[in-house]
Amino acid sequence: MTASILDGIVLGLQFGLLATGLTLMYGLGGILNLAYGQMAVISAIVTVSVMDAGLPVVPAALVGMATGAVLGWILDQTVFRPLYSLRGEARVLLSLLLSLGVALMIDGFLNWLFPLKGLSLFIGGGAIDIFGEPMRRGSLLASAITIVAMAALVAFFRFTTLGRAVRSVIEDEEGARLVGIDPRKMLRLILVLSGAIAALVALTRSMVAPVDVTAGFGITVFALIVTVVGGLGSITGALAAGIILGIINAIAASAIGTFMSLIILLVAAAITILVRPAGLLGVKE
Amino acid sequence: MLEVRDLSVGYEGGDVVHDVTLRVDDGEAVMVIGSNGAGKTTLFRAIVGLLRATTGTVRFDDRDITAVPTQEVVRLGLGFVPAERHLFPRMTVHENLALGAYPSRPDPETLAMVMDLFPRLAERRRQLAGTMSGGEQQMLAIGRALMAKPRLLVLDEPTTGLAPKLAAEAYEALAVLRRRGLTVLVAEQQVPLAMALCDRGYVLEGGVVTKEGSSADLADDPEVRRAYLGIA
Repeated sequence: MTASILDGIVLGLQFGLLATGLTLMYGLGGILNLAYGQMAVISAIVTVSVMDAGLPVVPAALVGMATGAVLGWILDQTVFRPLYSLRGEARVLLSLLLSLGVALMIDGFLNWLFPLKGLSLFIGGGAIDIFGEPMRRGSLLASAITIVAMAALVAFFRFTTLGRAVRSVIEDEEGARLVGIDPRKMLRLILVLSGAIAALVALTRSMVAPVDVTAGFGITVFALIVTVVGGLGSITGALAAGIILGIINAIAASAIGTFMSLIILLVAAAITILVRPAGLLGVKE
Repeated sequence: MLEVRDLSVGYEGGDVVHDVTLRVDDGEAVMVIGSNGAGKTTLFRAIVGLLRATTGTVRFDDRDITAVPTQEVVRLGLGFVPAERHLFPRMTVHENLALGAYPSRPDPETLAMVMDLFPRLAERRRQLAGTMSGGEQQMLAIGRALMAKPRLLVLDEPTTGLAPKLAAEAYEALAVLRRRGLTVLVAEQQVPLAMALCDRGYVLEGGVVTKEGSSADLADDPEVRRAYLGIA
Protein backbone atom coordinates (compact mmCIF):
# COMPACT_ATOMS: atom_id res chain seq x y z
CA MET A 1 0.00 0.00 0.00
CA THR A 2 2.79 2.44 0.92
CA ALA A 3 4.49 1.60 -2.38
CA SER A 4 1.31 2.35 -4.32
CA ILE A 5 0.85 5.66 -2.56
CA LEU A 6 4.46 6.64 -3.25
CA ASP A 7 4.11 5.61 -6.90
CA GLY A 8 0.87 7.54 -6.99
CA ILE A 9 2.51 10.67 -5.65
CA VAL A 10 5.25 10.43 -8.27
CA LEU A 11 2.68 10.03 -11.03
CA GLY A 12 0.37 12.61 -9.47
CA LEU A 13 3.01 15.30 -9.35
CA GLN A 14 3.58 14.76 -13.05
CA PHE A 15 -0.15 14.78 -13.78
CA GLY A 16 -0.46 18.02 -11.88
CA LEU A 17 2.35 19.72 -13.74
CA LEU A 18 1.01 18.38 -17.03
CA ALA A 19 -2.44 19.77 -16.35
CA THR A 20 -1.22 23.28 -15.54
CA GLY A 21 -0.28 23.77 -19.21
CA LEU A 22 -3.72 22.70 -20.42
CA THR A 23 -5.60 24.65 -17.76
CA LEU A 24 -3.66 27.84 -18.52
CA MET A 25 -4.37 27.62 -22.25
CA TYR A 26 -8.06 27.20 -21.49
CA GLY A 27 -8.30 29.76 -18.72
CA LEU A 28 -6.39 32.39 -20.62
CA GLY A 29 -7.53 31.97 -24.17
CA GLY A 30 -10.46 29.56 -24.21
CA ILE A 31 -8.30 27.06 -26.07
CA LEU A 32 -8.56 23.32 -25.51
CA ASN A 33 -5.40 21.92 -27.03
CA LEU A 34 -5.87 18.24 -27.87
CA ALA A 35 -2.42 18.10 -29.49
CA TYR A 36 -0.86 18.72 -26.06
CA GLY A 37 0.27 15.11 -25.61
CA GLN A 38 1.82 15.03 -29.07
CA MET A 39 3.84 18.14 -28.23
CA ALA A 40 5.17 16.20 -25.25
CA VAL A 41 6.01 13.12 -27.32
CA ILE A 42 7.79 15.05 -30.09
CA SER A 43 9.89 16.86 -27.49
CA ALA A 44 10.85 13.53 -25.91
CA ILE A 45 11.79 12.08 -29.31
CA VAL A 46 14.00 15.08 -30.02
CA THR A 47 15.67 14.67 -26.62
CA VAL A 48 16.40 10.99 -27.19
CA SER A 49 17.67 11.70 -30.70
CA VAL A 50 20.15 14.34 -29.58
CA MET A 51 21.26 12.01 -26.78
CA ASP A 52 21.82 9.26 -29.33
CA ALA A 53 23.93 11.78 -31.23
CA GLY A 54 26.11 12.11 -28.14
CA LEU A 55 24.71 15.06 -26.19
CA PRO A 56 24.73 14.59 -22.38
CA VAL A 57 21.38 14.21 -20.67
CA VAL A 58 20.95 17.69 -19.17
CA PRO A 59 21.62 19.71 -22.35
CA ALA A 60 19.55 17.15 -24.26
CA ALA A 61 16.63 17.70 -21.88
CA LEU A 62 16.96 21.46 -22.36
CA VAL A 63 16.88 20.95 -26.13
CA GLY A 64 13.71 18.90 -25.61
CA MET A 65 12.04 21.64 -23.58
CA ALA A 66 13.03 24.23 -26.15
CA THR A 67 11.43 21.97 -28.78
CA GLY A 68 8.18 21.95 -26.80
CA ALA A 69 8.30 25.73 -26.49
CA VAL A 70 8.89 26.16 -30.23
CA LEU A 71 6.00 23.78 -30.99
CA GLY A 72 3.74 25.96 -28.84
CA TRP A 73 4.89 29.05 -30.71
CA ILE A 74 4.32 27.34 -34.08
CA LEU A 75 0.77 26.36 -33.06
CA ASP A 76 0.10 29.96 -32.05
CA GLN A 77 1.38 31.32 -35.36
CA THR A 78 -0.25 28.77 -37.65
CA VAL A 79 -3.10 26.44 -36.74
CA PHE A 80 -4.54 28.53 -33.90
CA ARG A 81 -4.56 31.78 -35.90
CA PRO A 82 -8.18 31.50 -37.04
CA LEU A 83 -9.22 31.13 -33.38
CA TYR A 84 -8.26 34.61 -32.33
CA SER A 85 -11.05 36.29 -34.25
CA LEU A 86 -13.62 34.10 -32.47
CA ARG A 87 -15.04 34.47 -28.97
CA GLY A 88 -16.48 32.23 -26.29
CA GLU A 89 -17.83 28.82 -27.14
CA ALA A 90 -17.04 29.08 -30.85
CA ARG A 91 -13.37 29.50 -30.01
CA VAL A 92 -13.33 26.54 -27.62
CA LEU A 93 -15.02 24.26 -30.15
CA LEU A 94 -12.85 25.26 -33.10
CA SER A 95 -9.69 24.90 -30.99
CA LEU A 96 -10.84 21.38 -30.12
CA LEU A 97 -11.29 20.45 -33.78
CA LEU A 98 -8.13 22.11 -35.06
CA SER A 99 -5.90 20.64 -32.37
CA LEU A 100 -7.51 17.22 -32.81
CA GLY A 101 -6.56 17.39 -36.49
CA VAL A 102 -3.01 18.31 -35.56
CA ALA A 103 -2.87 15.46 -33.03
CA LEU A 104 -4.08 12.88 -35.57
CA MET A 105 -1.60 14.07 -38.17
CA ILE A 106 1.32 13.95 -35.75
CA ASP A 107 0.31 10.50 -34.48
CA GLY A 108 0.10 9.13 -38.01
CA PHE A 109 3.43 10.63 -38.90
CA LEU A 110 5.16 9.32 -35.76
CA ASN A 111 3.73 5.84 -36.28
CA TRP A 112 5.12 5.76 -39.76
CA LEU A 113 8.49 7.20 -38.78
CA PHE A 114 9.17 5.30 -35.56
CA PRO A 115 7.13 2.11 -35.48
CA LEU A 116 7.10 0.57 -32.00
CA LYS A 117 9.77 2.77 -30.54
CA GLY A 118 9.71 3.30 -26.80
CA LEU A 119 11.51 6.28 -25.37
CA SER A 120 13.16 6.13 -22.04
CA LEU A 121 15.85 7.97 -20.23
CA PHE A 122 17.69 5.59 -17.96
CA ILE A 123 18.92 7.07 -14.76
CA GLY A 124 21.64 4.87 -13.36
CA GLY A 125 21.82 3.40 -9.89
CA GLY A 126 19.66 1.15 -7.84
CA ALA A 127 16.85 1.69 -5.42
CA ILE A 128 16.69 3.90 -2.35
CA ASP A 129 14.51 3.09 0.66
CA ILE A 130 11.71 5.55 1.43
CA PHE A 131 9.47 4.64 4.41
CA GLY A 132 10.86 1.11 4.10
CA GLU A 133 9.91 0.86 0.42
CA PRO A 134 12.51 0.63 -2.33
CA MET A 135 12.12 3.50 -4.80
CA ARG A 136 13.92 3.74 -8.11
CA ARG A 137 16.33 6.61 -8.37
CA GLY A 138 14.68 7.66 -11.61
CA SER A 139 11.33 8.07 -9.85
CA LEU A 140 12.87 10.16 -7.09
CA LEU A 141 14.76 12.38 -9.48
CA ALA A 142 11.67 12.77 -11.68
CA SER A 143 9.63 13.80 -8.64
CA ALA A 144 12.29 16.24 -7.48
CA ILE A 145 12.45 17.86 -10.91
CA THR A 146 8.66 18.05 -11.05
CA ILE A 147 8.41 19.64 -7.60
CA VAL A 148 11.04 22.23 -8.48
CA ALA A 149 9.23 23.03 -11.73
CA MET A 150 5.91 23.39 -9.87
CA ALA A 151 7.45 25.68 -7.28
CA ALA A 152 9.00 27.76 -10.05
CA LEU A 153 5.64 28.04 -11.82
CA VAL A 154 3.78 29.03 -8.66
CA ALA A 155 6.45 31.62 -7.84
CA PHE A 156 6.31 32.96 -11.38
CA PHE A 157 2.54 33.47 -11.25
CA ARG A 158 2.52 34.85 -7.74
CA PHE A 159 5.52 37.12 -7.55
CA THR A 160 6.55 38.34 -10.99
CA THR A 161 4.92 41.18 -12.90
CA LEU A 162 4.63 39.01 -16.01
CA GLY A 163 3.10 36.14 -14.04
CA ARG A 164 0.55 38.48 -12.47
CA ALA A 165 -0.21 39.87 -15.91
CA VAL A 166 -1.02 36.36 -17.16
CA ARG A 167 -3.33 35.78 -14.17
CA SER A 168 -5.04 39.10 -14.72
CA VAL A 169 -6.10 38.02 -18.22
CA ILE A 170 -7.64 34.85 -16.73
CA GLU A 171 -9.47 36.94 -14.12
CA ASP A 172 -10.78 39.72 -16.34
CA GLU A 173 -9.60 40.16 -19.91
CA GLU A 174 -11.04 43.66 -20.27
CA GLY A 175 -9.52 44.71 -16.96
CA ALA A 176 -6.17 43.43 -18.21
CA ARG A 177 -6.42 45.51 -21.37
CA LEU A 178 -7.28 48.56 -19.24
CA VAL A 179 -3.95 48.30 -17.43
CA GLY A 180 -2.06 47.95 -20.70
CA ILE A 181 -1.77 44.17 -21.03
CA ASP A 182 -2.14 42.60 -24.48
CA PRO A 183 -4.10 39.35 -23.99
CA ARG A 184 -2.81 37.95 -27.31
CA LYS A 185 0.80 38.28 -26.18
CA MET A 186 -0.01 36.59 -22.87
CA LEU A 187 -1.68 33.72 -24.72
CA ARG A 188 1.35 33.30 -26.96
CA LEU A 189 3.56 33.22 -23.88
CA ILE A 190 1.36 30.55 -22.33
CA LEU A 191 1.37 28.40 -25.48
CA VAL A 192 5.17 28.52 -25.45
CA LEU A 193 5.31 27.83 -21.71
CA SER A 194 2.84 24.95 -21.94
CA GLY A 195 4.94 23.40 -24.70
CA ALA A 196 7.97 23.46 -22.42
CA ILE A 197 5.89 22.02 -19.56
CA ALA A 198 4.60 19.19 -21.76
CA ALA A 199 8.18 18.41 -22.77
CA LEU A 200 9.39 18.38 -19.18
CA VAL A 201 6.60 16.02 -18.12
CA ALA A 202 7.33 13.64 -21.01
CA LEU A 203 11.00 13.63 -20.00
CA THR A 204 10.40 12.99 -16.30
CA ARG A 205 7.79 10.37 -17.21
CA SER A 206 10.34 8.55 -19.33
CA MET A 207 12.63 8.39 -16.31
CA VAL A 208 10.01 6.25 -14.56
CA ALA A 209 8.63 4.14 -17.39
CA PRO A 210 9.06 3.97 -21.16
CA VAL A 211 7.03 6.53 -23.13
CA ASP A 212 5.62 5.15 -26.36
CA VAL A 213 5.61 7.29 -29.53
CA THR A 214 1.83 6.90 -29.60
CA ALA A 215 1.46 8.01 -25.98
CA GLY A 216 0.25 11.48 -27.05
CA PHE A 217 -3.46 10.88 -26.73
CA GLY A 218 -3.07 9.12 -23.39
CA ILE A 219 -1.13 12.10 -22.06
CA THR A 220 -3.76 14.55 -23.33
CA VAL A 221 -6.60 12.52 -21.79
CA PHE A 222 -4.87 12.37 -18.40
CA ALA A 223 -4.16 16.09 -18.52
CA LEU A 224 -7.77 16.78 -19.49
CA ILE A 225 -9.18 14.72 -16.61
CA VAL A 226 -6.89 16.42 -14.11
CA THR A 227 -7.73 19.83 -15.54
CA VAL A 228 -11.46 19.23 -15.26
CA VAL A 229 -11.20 17.93 -11.70
CA GLY A 230 -8.90 20.77 -10.64
CA GLY A 231 -11.13 23.42 -12.18
CA LEU A 232 -10.52 24.95 -15.59
CA GLY A 233 -8.21 27.92 -15.31
CA SER A 234 -6.92 27.12 -11.83
CA ILE A 235 -3.21 26.44 -11.48
CA THR A 236 -3.25 25.34 -7.85
CA GLY A 237 -6.38 23.29 -8.59
CA ALA A 238 -4.55 21.42 -11.33
CA LEU A 239 -1.61 20.68 -9.03
CA ALA A 240 -3.87 19.45 -6.21
CA ALA A 241 -6.05 17.36 -8.52
CA GLY A 242 -2.97 15.83 -10.14
CA ILE A 243 -1.65 14.53 -6.84
CA ILE A 244 -5.04 13.23 -5.67
CA LEU A 245 -5.78 11.48 -8.97
CA GLY A 246 -2.25 10.13 -9.17
CA ILE A 247 -2.69 8.39 -5.82
CA ILE A 248 -6.15 7.10 -6.78
CA ASN A 249 -4.72 5.80 -10.04
CA ALA A 250 -1.82 4.00 -8.41
CA ILE A 251 -3.96 2.38 -5.71
CA ALA A 252 -6.55 1.33 -8.29
CA ALA A 253 -3.86 -0.12 -10.53
CA SER A 254 -2.28 -2.19 -7.77
CA ALA A 255 -5.50 -3.24 -6.01
CA ILE A 256 -7.62 -4.01 -9.06
CA GLY A 257 -5.49 -3.78 -12.16
CA THR A 258 -4.19 -1.28 -14.69
CA PHE A 259 -7.09 -2.03 -17.03
CA MET A 260 -9.47 -0.54 -14.47
CA SER A 261 -7.44 2.45 -13.34
CA LEU A 262 -8.44 4.80 -16.16
CA ILE A 263 -12.11 3.97 -15.61
CA ILE A 264 -11.75 4.63 -11.91
CA LEU A 265 -10.08 7.96 -12.69
CA LEU A 266 -12.99 8.90 -14.91
CA VAL A 267 -15.45 7.94 -12.17
CA ALA A 268 -13.51 10.06 -9.68
CA ALA A 269 -13.59 12.95 -12.15
CA ALA A 270 -17.33 12.51 -12.75
CA ILE A 271 -18.05 12.49 -9.00
CA THR A 272 -16.02 15.69 -8.54
CA ILE A 273 -17.98 17.42 -11.28
CA LEU A 274 -21.30 16.27 -9.76
CA VAL A 275 -20.34 17.58 -6.33
CA ARG A 276 -18.43 20.67 -7.45
CA PRO A 277 -19.30 21.64 -11.03
CA ALA A 278 -16.51 24.23 -11.21
CA GLY A 279 -13.89 21.66 -10.12
CA LEU A 280 -11.89 21.61 -6.90
CA LEU A 281 -10.66 25.17 -7.15
CA GLY A 282 -12.32 26.37 -10.33
CA VAL A 283 -13.74 29.81 -10.94
CA LYS A 284 -17.53 29.94 -10.74
CA GLU A 285 -19.08 31.55 -13.79
CA MET B 1 -5.69 66.93 -25.11
CA LEU B 2 -8.62 64.82 -26.32
CA GLU B 3 -10.51 65.57 -29.48
CA VAL B 4 -13.42 63.46 -30.68
CA ARG B 5 -14.72 64.36 -34.11
CA ASP B 6 -17.93 63.18 -35.83
CA LEU B 7 -17.75 59.86 -34.03
CA SER B 8 -20.40 57.25 -34.80
CA VAL B 9 -20.26 53.88 -33.12
CA GLY B 10 -22.53 51.00 -32.23
CA TYR B 11 -22.98 47.28 -32.24
CA GLU B 12 -24.03 44.70 -34.82
CA GLY B 13 -27.57 46.06 -34.93
CA GLY B 14 -26.39 49.54 -35.95
CA ASP B 15 -24.96 52.72 -34.52
CA VAL B 16 -25.99 53.89 -31.07
CA VAL B 17 -23.92 57.08 -31.04
CA HIS B 18 -24.14 59.46 -34.00
CA ASP B 19 -21.66 62.13 -35.11
CA VAL B 20 -20.47 63.11 -31.65
CA THR B 21 -17.87 65.85 -31.48
CA LEU B 22 -16.29 66.77 -28.17
CA ARG B 23 -13.09 68.20 -26.81
CA VAL B 24 -11.21 68.10 -23.52
CA ASP B 25 -8.41 70.62 -23.01
CA ASP B 26 -5.37 70.31 -20.75
CA GLY B 27 -6.30 70.60 -17.08
CA GLU B 28 -10.03 70.70 -17.72
CA ALA B 29 -12.75 68.57 -16.18
CA VAL B 30 -15.52 67.78 -18.65
CA MET B 31 -18.75 65.82 -18.14
CA VAL B 32 -21.02 63.95 -20.49
CA ILE B 33 -24.47 63.80 -18.94
CA GLY B 34 -27.49 61.92 -20.15
CA SER B 35 -30.04 59.38 -19.07
CA ASN B 36 -29.65 55.62 -19.06
CA GLY B 37 -29.28 54.33 -22.62
CA ALA B 38 -28.27 57.70 -24.07
CA GLY B 39 -25.04 56.13 -25.39
CA LYS B 40 -22.54 57.42 -22.82
CA THR B 41 -20.92 54.03 -22.22
CA THR B 42 -20.80 53.23 -25.94
CA LEU B 43 -19.15 56.59 -26.65
CA PHE B 44 -16.55 56.14 -23.93
CA ARG B 45 -15.77 52.58 -24.96
CA ALA B 46 -15.10 53.84 -28.48
CA ILE B 47 -12.83 56.62 -27.17
CA VAL B 48 -10.60 54.14 -25.34
CA GLY B 49 -10.62 51.61 -28.17
CA LEU B 50 -12.78 48.90 -26.63
CA LEU B 51 -15.26 49.43 -29.48
CA ARG B 52 -14.34 50.17 -33.08
CA ALA B 53 -15.83 53.44 -34.36
CA THR B 54 -17.90 53.22 -37.54
CA THR B 55 -16.85 56.69 -38.65
CA GLY B 56 -15.09 59.66 -37.12
CA THR B 57 -11.80 60.10 -35.31
CA VAL B 58 -10.43 60.22 -31.77
CA ARG B 59 -7.23 62.17 -31.22
CA PHE B 60 -5.23 62.16 -27.99
CA ASP B 61 -2.33 64.60 -27.73
CA ASP B 62 -2.58 65.19 -31.49
CA ARG B 63 -2.19 61.52 -32.20
CA ASP B 64 -4.93 59.59 -33.99
CA ILE B 65 -5.96 56.79 -31.61
CA THR B 66 -9.20 55.81 -33.37
CA ALA B 67 -7.90 52.35 -34.30
CA VAL B 68 -5.32 51.92 -31.54
CA PRO B 69 -6.09 48.96 -29.24
CA THR B 70 -7.04 49.78 -25.64
CA GLN B 71 -3.90 48.29 -24.11
CA GLU B 72 -1.80 50.75 -26.13
CA VAL B 73 -4.09 53.74 -25.55
CA VAL B 74 -3.64 53.20 -21.81
CA ARG B 75 0.13 53.33 -22.15
CA LEU B 76 -0.12 56.67 -23.95
CA GLY B 77 -1.45 58.20 -20.74
CA LEU B 78 -5.20 57.82 -21.03
CA GLY B 79 -6.65 55.95 -18.05
CA PHE B 80 -10.15 54.49 -18.18
CA VAL B 81 -12.37 53.46 -15.26
CA PRO B 82 -15.38 51.53 -16.61
CA ALA B 83 -18.72 51.48 -14.79
CA GLU B 84 -18.37 47.71 -14.22
CA ARG B 85 -14.85 48.34 -12.85
CA HIS B 86 -13.29 45.16 -14.28
CA LEU B 87 -11.05 44.55 -11.30
CA PHE B 88 -9.17 41.29 -10.77
CA PRO B 89 -11.46 39.77 -8.10
CA ARG B 90 -9.20 36.94 -6.88
CA MET B 91 -6.17 39.17 -6.48
CA THR B 92 -5.43 41.37 -3.51
CA VAL B 93 -5.90 45.13 -3.45
CA HIS B 94 -2.15 45.50 -3.63
CA GLU B 95 -1.83 43.16 -6.65
CA ASN B 96 -4.59 45.07 -8.45
CA LEU B 97 -2.78 48.34 -7.84
CA ALA B 98 0.58 46.89 -8.82
CA LEU B 99 -0.84 45.68 -12.14
CA GLY B 100 -2.09 49.20 -12.76
CA ALA B 101 1.55 50.18 -13.30
CA TYR B 102 2.15 47.38 -15.84
CA PRO B 103 4.67 46.80 -17.39
CA SER B 104 6.70 48.74 -14.83
CA ARG B 105 7.02 47.90 -11.18
CA PRO B 106 4.68 50.07 -9.10
CA ASP B 107 6.18 53.45 -8.32
CA PRO B 108 6.26 53.84 -4.51
CA GLU B 109 5.35 57.54 -4.67
CA THR B 110 2.29 56.93 -6.84
CA LEU B 111 1.28 54.04 -4.60
CA ALA B 112 1.58 56.26 -1.52
CA MET B 113 -0.47 58.97 -3.28
CA VAL B 114 -3.26 56.47 -4.06
CA MET B 115 -3.23 55.09 -0.50
CA ASP B 116 -3.36 58.64 0.82
CA LEU B 117 -6.29 59.49 -1.45
CA PHE B 118 -8.16 56.32 -0.46
CA PRO B 119 -7.06 55.35 3.08
CA ARG B 120 -9.55 52.45 2.94
CA LEU B 121 -7.34 50.76 0.32
CA ALA B 122 -4.31 51.01 2.58
CA GLU B 123 -6.24 49.27 5.38
CA ARG B 124 -7.29 46.48 3.01
CA ARG B 125 -4.22 45.99 0.90
CA ARG B 126 -4.15 42.23 1.54
CA GLN B 127 -7.86 41.69 0.99
CA LEU B 128 -9.12 40.10 -2.23
CA ALA B 129 -10.69 42.71 -4.50
CA GLY B 130 -13.76 40.56 -5.13
CA THR B 131 -14.68 40.54 -1.43
CA MET B 132 -14.85 44.31 -1.06
CA SER B 133 -17.92 46.53 -1.05
CA GLY B 134 -19.03 48.44 -4.13
CA GLY B 135 -17.62 51.71 -2.86
CA GLU B 136 -14.24 50.19 -2.06
CA GLN B 137 -14.14 48.52 -5.46
CA GLN B 138 -14.78 51.87 -7.12
CA MET B 139 -11.91 53.42 -5.15
CA LEU B 140 -9.70 50.52 -6.19
CA ALA B 141 -10.68 50.90 -9.85
CA ILE B 142 -9.77 54.61 -9.76
CA GLY B 143 -6.59 53.82 -7.83
CA ARG B 144 -5.57 51.14 -10.32
CA ALA B 145 -6.02 53.57 -13.21
CA LEU B 146 -3.95 56.20 -11.36
CA MET B 147 -1.02 53.79 -10.94
CA ALA B 148 -0.18 54.23 -14.63
CA LYS B 149 0.17 58.00 -14.01
CA PRO B 150 -2.36 59.01 -16.65
CA ARG B 151 -2.62 62.56 -17.88
CA LEU B 152 -6.28 62.12 -18.79
CA LEU B 153 -8.62 60.06 -16.63
CA VAL B 154 -11.84 58.93 -18.28
CA LEU B 155 -14.53 57.62 -15.92
CA ASP B 156 -17.79 56.00 -16.94
CA GLU B 157 -20.42 56.60 -14.26
CA PRO B 158 -18.17 56.26 -11.22
CA THR B 159 -21.21 56.42 -8.92
CA THR B 160 -22.86 53.26 -10.33
CA GLY B 161 -24.26 51.21 -7.46
CA LEU B 162 -22.91 53.54 -4.76
CA ALA B 163 -24.84 54.91 -1.82
CA PRO B 164 -25.10 58.75 -1.91
CA LYS B 165 -22.43 59.19 0.77
CA LEU B 166 -19.93 57.01 -1.11
CA ALA B 167 -20.77 58.68 -4.42
CA ALA B 168 -19.96 62.03 -2.85
CA GLU B 169 -16.70 60.61 -1.47
CA ALA B 170 -15.70 59.39 -4.92
CA TYR B 171 -16.27 62.88 -6.32
CA GLU B 172 -14.30 64.44 -3.47
CA ALA B 173 -11.35 62.29 -4.49
CA LEU B 174 -11.78 63.36 -8.11
CA ALA B 175 -11.82 67.01 -7.00
CA VAL B 176 -8.51 66.48 -5.19
CA LEU B 177 -7.00 64.93 -8.34
CA ARG B 178 -8.29 67.84 -10.42
CA ARG B 179 -6.65 70.37 -8.15
CA ARG B 180 -3.39 68.50 -8.69
CA GLY B 181 -3.72 69.06 -12.42
CA LEU B 182 -5.25 65.82 -13.69
CA THR B 183 -7.50 66.23 -16.73
CA VAL B 184 -10.84 64.46 -16.28
CA LEU B 185 -13.64 63.31 -18.60
CA VAL B 186 -16.60 61.80 -16.78
CA ALA B 187 -19.95 60.36 -17.83
CA GLU B 188 -22.58 60.73 -15.16
CA GLN B 189 -26.28 60.31 -14.43
CA GLN B 190 -26.01 61.93 -11.02
CA VAL B 191 -25.68 65.32 -12.64
CA PRO B 192 -25.30 67.59 -9.57
CA LEU B 193 -22.14 65.77 -8.48
CA ALA B 194 -20.59 66.03 -11.94
CA MET B 195 -21.57 69.69 -12.28
CA ALA B 196 -19.80 70.58 -9.06
CA LEU B 197 -16.61 68.97 -10.38
CA CYS B 198 -16.57 69.96 -14.04
CA ASP B 199 -15.95 73.17 -15.97
CA ARG B 200 -17.92 72.19 -19.03
CA GLY B 201 -20.34 69.55 -20.17
CA TYR B 202 -22.13 67.88 -23.03
CA VAL B 203 -25.68 66.56 -22.92
CA LEU B 204 -26.08 63.26 -24.77
CA GLU B 205 -29.60 62.20 -25.72
CA GLY B 206 -30.41 59.30 -28.03
CA GLY B 207 -26.77 59.06 -29.06
CA VAL B 208 -26.57 62.70 -30.17
CA VAL B 209 -25.06 65.73 -28.41
CA THR B 210 -28.05 68.02 -27.90
CA LYS B 211 -26.42 70.72 -25.75
CA GLU B 212 -23.01 71.80 -24.65
CA GLY B 213 -21.70 74.58 -22.50
CA SER B 214 -20.13 75.56 -19.21
CA SER B 215 -21.46 73.85 -16.11
CA ALA B 216 -22.99 77.14 -14.97
CA ASP B 217 -24.82 77.62 -18.28
CA LEU B 218 -26.08 74.05 -18.26
CA ALA B 219 -27.25 74.45 -14.67
CA ASP B 220 -29.34 77.44 -15.77
CA ASP B 221 -30.77 75.70 -18.82
CA PRO B 222 -34.49 75.02 -18.21
CA GLU B 223 -34.47 71.68 -20.03
CA VAL B 224 -31.38 70.46 -18.22
CA ARG B 225 -32.90 71.59 -14.93
CA ARG B 226 -36.09 69.69 -15.61
CA ALA B 227 -34.53 66.51 -17.03
CA TYR B 228 -31.40 66.09 -14.90
CA LEU B 229 -31.61 68.29 -11.85
CA GLY B 230 -35.18 67.53 -10.86
CA ILE B 231 -36.06 71.23 -10.75
CA ALA B 232 -39.20 72.35 -12.55
